[in-house]
Amino acid sequence: MAEENVIETRGLRKVFRDFWRRPTVEAVKDLDMAVARGGVFGLLGPNGSGKSTTIKMLLGLLRPTSGDVRVLGKQPSDTAVKARIGYMPEVSHLHHFLTPRETLMYYASLFGMRRSEAVRRTAELLHMVDLGHAADRAVGSFSKGMARRVGLAQALINAPELLILDEPTSGLDPIGCREVKDLLRTLAAGGVSILMTSHLLADVEDVCDRVAILDCGVLQAEGRIAELLRLPDEVRFVVSGIDEDVAAELRSEIEQRVGRAVRQEFPSMSLEAFFLRTVAQERVGKVFETAPFLRESIGGQVQKGNTGS
Amino acid sequence: MICMLRQAGRRSAVCVRRVTGVALLAARAALRSKAVVAMLTALVAGSVLLPAVVKGDGTPEGELQILLSYTLGFSFAILCLTTMWAACALFAAEIDRSLLQMSVVKPVRPFDLWLGKWCALLVLDVLCLAAAYGSAYAQVRWRIARDAWDELERPTCRHVTRPVLPPPEVEAREVYEELRSHDALPKDMSEQAVLRVLEERAADKYDVINPGGSAAWRFDLLHPVGYAERVTVRIKFDTEFSTREHVTGVCRLRSLERPEAFVDVELNDFTLNEIEFIVDTRAFGIAEEESLRGFELVFRHTGDPGSAAGIMLRFRQDVALLTPGGTFVANLLRSAIVHGSVLALLAAFGLTLSACFSYPVAAFVATVMLVLTMVGNSVARVASEDDSQNFVHKAGVRISRAVQFATSRAMRAEPLASLTRGERIENRVVAESVLWNGVTLPLVFAVMGGWILRRRELGDPT
Repeated sequence: MAEENVIETRGLRKVFRDFWRRPTVEAVKDLDMAVARGGVFGLLGPNGSGKSTTIKMLLGLLRPTSGDVRVLGKQPSDTAVKARIGYMPEVSHLHHFLTPRETLMYYASLFGMRRSEAVRRTAELLHMVDLGHAADRAVGSFSKGMARRVGLAQALINAPELLILDEPTSGLDPIGCREVKDLLRTLAAGGVSILMTSHLLADVEDVCDRVAILDCGVLQAEGRIAELLRLPDEVRFVVSGIDEDVAAELRSEIEQRVGRAVRQEFPSMSLEAFFLRTVAQERVGKVFETAPFLRESIGGQVQKGNTGS
Repeated sequence: MICMLRQAGRRSAVCVRRVTGVALLAARAALRSKAVVAMLTALVAGSVLLPAVVKGDGTPEGELQILLSYTLGFSFAILCLTTMWAACALFAAEIDRSLLQMSVVKPVRPFDLWLGKWCALLVLDVLCLAAAYGSAYAQVRWRIARDAWDELERPTCRHVTRPVLPPPEVEAREVYEELRSHDALPKDMSEQAVLRVLEERAADKYDVINPGGSAAWRFDLLHPVGYAERVTVRIKFDTEFSTREHVTGVCRLRSLERPEAFVDVELNDFTLNEIEFIVDTRAFGIAEEESLRGFELVFRHTGDPGSAAGIMLRFRQDVALLTPGGTFVANLLRSAIVHGSVLALLAAFGLTLSACFSYPVAAFVATVMLVLTMVGNSVARVASEDDSQNFVHKAGVRISRAVQFATSRAMRAEPLASLTRGERIENRVVAESVLWNGVTLPLVFAVMGGWILRRRELGDPT
């Protein structure tokens, strides 16, 4: 396994069987995939494409039918590997009778953390995911978005080296989405390797450096996102502050030069950007002030206000 | 070396923190569930209301019987069922709701998860048991004060010594050899089956003492009795015609160390089927620093051979010498320890089932096993697989016998029966129960449970 890869699979296959051991579905077929250290890697695919199954095999929750999985250079079942991983599942599986504080304290105890350390990290993470006000309310009464925040906080309790996130932004409001995406970019900039799946392709585009696309358990495409999305024959100029007459002149000039018709567009901002600018500009970026231990764990590279993506 | 020790210490501390975390989670789950509130209500009802509702026979002995057997028996039964079903739910419910996968992706071993949950159940059980026993004891003290029970009526704790007799298996072998020499062995039964039946019969065998006849038994005390201590003789019996038949007789208790010293007790006009009388060791003329270790008891039936009935008794079970065995409170504590160890075993069993099956299946299997354990003994006693060639009958008997064999050691101690009869629960019995039920079997179940959890795929198919 190459030293720079945090995840590597070779010929990975998973066949689900029924009670009588008869094969029912082959969810992952001969998957060869490598995730390099640092950056955000997106695993995409339609429903039933094998994304979650792959992630569960990476976490040791499912055993591969054949093939090899290496996570941080070792078998996923190795407890030393598990100590360096953070995981947030697609659905926030939380004990309904616990409060967020108790939930985080519980997961901190599974990492063998001292109580004082666990208390400090719990407080910081609760503040970071904006649940300080609901820290002592039972999780069972939370909305889906609040539960997702608790799920994210528990994934970060050990300041992980590798973060595996299944649909991290599902169920979150636009502000929450943006905060999570900003957090992921910041963590990645600090050296945390992130593997995420998402159906929200705009989110993936915002956050990921590299993506792999799975369909029917087979790897269909993989590469840097900028390279995969580039349209080789097209060039776009973006100019601000010119009137329509000047624009028409420039257009006809270019048409004469290239000998083909030129399409003229007036770009608009995304709805997300508009919403954030209108409603919550002052709130974005606040998250990075709240979890110093994460900043420490990634070498102090998290910069306040590093919110743009 | 020091470095290695420090490292080991750090690892142990981390392990303890993990187990404690899991235990706290399980305890919170229990304390915040409605089922536990219902169980606590039932416990309170059983401990406080039941003895008030159920009427005794008016004697202090009857009151004590009800207080101890009803209160503690009911509480223990509730705790057994609750512990087992709660244990069956702990892993199964977490697996069902995909909660366990959130824990197993953290650096925690399945064994630690198992141990944490077991410890939580054990602590809760110990607290409930302490409350039940505390309540029973408080009620006993209250009744003693309210009804001004005599010294002799108060609950006691006594060593029980049975007569020195050859073990049932030796007697069974002798009878077997005799039957074989007369060619009188049953043709369709194996040697093992015949011996088992003979052994059971030897243990339960009734001997008859007819009017004018007598029987003698020798007792070797494990714990000698000292100066001015009381020795109680107890003989239970049935009569040939009815249990209320008039019986007369003389009991002679002789010290083996001082054969010249004996006490005769005349028994006349008693119609109950139990004789109990107390002899002070000063009656044997011993000095203050002396103690007595061996006794001989002779019962002579003085009834009229023409009209009185003979008495029937099982020498191994019905004749006993009772000597002082410590305080009632200590006996109560020993009973609680035995009950605690049984609960520890049930928790371990339920947890391991819970790691294997879904909650309904685990709870069903656990309940069936519990019922089989309770009835297995009687089925194994009354039925023999050689009685019938019917496959179903044979299979049922064999299953009952297997369950009885597997659980007989775990269920051997009967602390409540001893407690209500004022018999000391011997330290050997307590130690065996703790080691077997509280340590060895839970350890076996822990290894099994850990192995199953490691082998199981905990991520649901997606």
